Amino acid sequence: MPDIRELGPQGRGMLHEGWSTEVADYVIVCGWALEGNAFLVGDAAGGLYAFEGKSGTTLWHRKEVHEGGILAMSIHPDGHIFATAGQDGRVLIWKSKEGESNKALEIGKGWVEHLQWSPDGQFLAVVFSHYVYVFGADGKEHWRSDKHLSTVSAVAWSKSNELATACYGRVTFYDVIRDQVNQKLEWQGSLVSMVLSPDGDIVACGSQDNSVHFWRRSTAQDAEMTGYPGKPSQLAFDQTGMVLATGGGERITVWSFQGNGPEGTVPGELDLHIGAISSLAFSNRGSLLASGSRDGSVFVWLLQKNGHGEPLGGAFVGGRVEAIAWRPDDCALAAVNANGGINVWDFKNRTKSSPKGFS
Amino acid sequence: MNGTQKVPVTILTGFLGSGKTTLLNKILSEEHGKRIAVIENEYGEVGIDQGLVINADEEVFEMSNGCICCTVRGDLIRVLGNLMKRRDKFDYVLVETTGLADPGPVAQTFFMDDEIRSEFSLDGIVTLVDAAHIDQQLGRSDESSEQVAFADVLVLNKTDLVSDESLDTLEARLRDMNRMARVVRSKQADVSVETVLNLGAFDLDQVLERRPSFLEPEYPFEWTGVFQLEPGRYEVSLEEGPDPMMSLVVVADQGTDEESLNEGAESCVRLYAESAELLHPGDKIPLNKHVNLQLQSEGRKSFSLEVEKSGHLGLFTQHTAEEFDIKVRRMDTSVSESGSNQQNDLLIPPIAERTWVAQHEHDDEVGSIAIERLGDVDPEKLNKWLGRLLSEKGVDIFRTKGFISYAGEPRRIVFQGVHMLFTSQPDREWGNEPRRNQLVFIGRNLDEEALQSGFDKCLT
Repeated sequence: MPDIRELGPQGRGMLHEGWSTEVADYVIVCGWALEGNAFLVGDAAGGLYAFEGKSGTTLWHRKEVHEGGILAMSIHPDGHIFATAGQDGRVLIWKSKEGESNKALEIGKGWVEHLQWSPDGQFLAVVFSHYVYVFGADGKEHWRSDKHLSTVSAVAWSKSNELATACYGRVTFYDVIRDQVNQKLEWQGSLVSMVLSPDGDIVACGSQDNSVHFWRRSTAQDAEMTGYPGKPSQLAFDQTGMVLATGGGERITVWSFQGNGPEGTVPGELDLHIGAISSLAFSNRGSLLASGSRDGSVFVWLLQKNGHGEPLGGAFVGGRVEAIAWRPDDCALAAVNANGGINVWDFKNRTKSSPKGFS
Repeated sequence: MNGTQKVPVTILTGFLGSGKTTLLNKILSEEHGKRIAVIENEYGEVGIDQGLVINADEEVFEMSNGCICCTVRGDLIRVLGNLMKRRDKFDYVLVETTGLADPGPVAQTFFMDDEIRSEFSLDGIVTLVDAAHIDQQLGRSDESSEQVAFADVLVLNKTDLVSDESLDTLEARLRDMNRMARVVRSKQADVSVETVLNLGAFDLDQVLERRPSFLEPEYPFEWTGVFQLEPGRYEVSLEEGPDPMMSLVVVADQGTDEESLNEGAESCVRLYAESAELLHPGDKIPLNKHVNLQLQSEGRKSFSLEVEKSGHLGLFTQHTAEEFDIKVRRMDTSVSESGSNQQNDLLIPPIAERTWVAQHEHDDEVGSIAIERLGDVDPEKLNKWLGRLLSEKGVDIFRTKGFISYAGEPRRIVFQGVHMLFTSQPDREWGNEPRRNQLVFIGRNLDEEALQSGFDKCLT
């Protein structure tokens, strides 16, 4: 096992030192906006920052935008606006370039924990306690869910008008335009995370009892992958929907959906982190997986269709890696950590014949 | 991963009206220099308006395997997961549960969730009890007795509404149910912040440091009297009492200080474990032997005792001297065998007495069982026994605490558990201290005899 500290923040292998900086508090959310020209960061104290994508120069900085701290951020598909939510029970919609918020939605007294723009950017899903609200980009409420069995733990859009919600014991698909339930997938367990395959057919949820549960919507078939040492809160599908990377321990477990898998198959295991996995992100194209850990290490892996993979590069940033994000062109990777550190590495992706995935 | 200290978490339970909000308000407004984050689960009428207070709806999540011990509180995992990112803002966490909460899932959350376990440590469970109403509540609801059973500290609140006498009765009842807990009395939840925070109750090192013998052992006898006797014959006489029979052990050279009394008691436990010889009135009581005195006939019954050399004789009796009016008299050599000497001047009072916490029938379904044994246990046998016990009875066993002496291990092994979840670790070295084992089980309908004989089989 290599000493991950020796990797250093500058990175090794295919990770090349880009820029780095630090903010005042624990970084909770991050993302790329304005076609990769801005990198947005929100911290636990409610600070919001935008850095120039290539140099790391501060574009703007806003303090205490949510009293009690930021909990969630979602960047609009066009990258020109984004939304933040926090412990103050509010959702703010911002202009990425100017760092100005022109809309504040008062949701209620309590935490707003999850936000998600629909793929076409028409709707913003907002999770507040047992309810999910859908707003338009103009800040008008379009739809509101019925009361869930528990606090909603995750949301994901399967289509521009269909929203999936996860809570204790259930995943529900809502048509938010017709206001109807399209499908209910039930399973007695506390679902802590959820991802959908890009075609929307596979629903994968991390469960509190250290397992991953998934369903195929078309056949209503479900399966349970057990044996994780911790709860798999981190889940990521690659763009083809062929492989699902999961955390839930120090190793990354990768399930392959080729053939009749993953049921009855042996998953790929990516084993270099020495602390539990804290974030996972697939590249926008191709089969590159970036992973971050509580131990402060970041690795990039090249995955095969069968779920097995090889490391391409790594870095050590010193604090729990809270979030990780590929730039839209996949030529840079950013990681933010618990010590307020922000690291961006250049990634030499062959842009001319970029990997097209597994097809 | 990083060596940072885990944040201690106190759980505050108690029925509605027991004074939780009053206590919380007091803690938050008091100048104690501690930074406390409060997770409040009950929307009380009295608002809490200071400090870092987060409201959360109690969410009890059972797992698909149906195991009660895997049941956790989803709301706490969520809230603590976010609080973790603001660790610089507070040093302690106080979790208030609703009046009807089962403390099990709350406690289990700190063992079962890997992320919570790595950042927070369960420091202790404090249960507030409304002295005026707990008697009825205990009869009516399981939650109420479970809250008492899980507690490390029981705050007996609203004592001004109840007479001293009924307070004592109530305290005795609560102690029967939970013998590990410290009982603190208060009027308007006016207890110091130290009573509630940083208890180290789940850190057995600290518990044992504070109370080396954290449980008052239960003995098969209720009373010990030490008598200074010269060589000669003596009469031990008893009135009618609550039982037609009473067991007794008389030992020679019994010291009178606290330590000697405890040592004598421990060695008598072993004598009591042997089967008793039945004695009838008029019989001679042998030394260092377990006997049953037959007391069926009417009036005062006498037994005789012979002392060969002067010294301190210890009587360890099943019931208290008061209950049977036990008296020891010097018998004149000329006194007839009937022992009818009534001269009071020959009455010998004890030079030391001690009343013990007695093993007795528990009225409540929920109770504590204590096992105290000298000697070493075989680790393999103990693990096997405990493993099976907790998997079979884990639902009914709420808390387990204790320390044991492993054969060949120079250190004490301390352990504790919540339902089936169980941890053990080596503690300080035994040194010159006699090797012994103490275990407490708190739970519902526990079979004391089965537990004791199960443990005894693990002794080497």
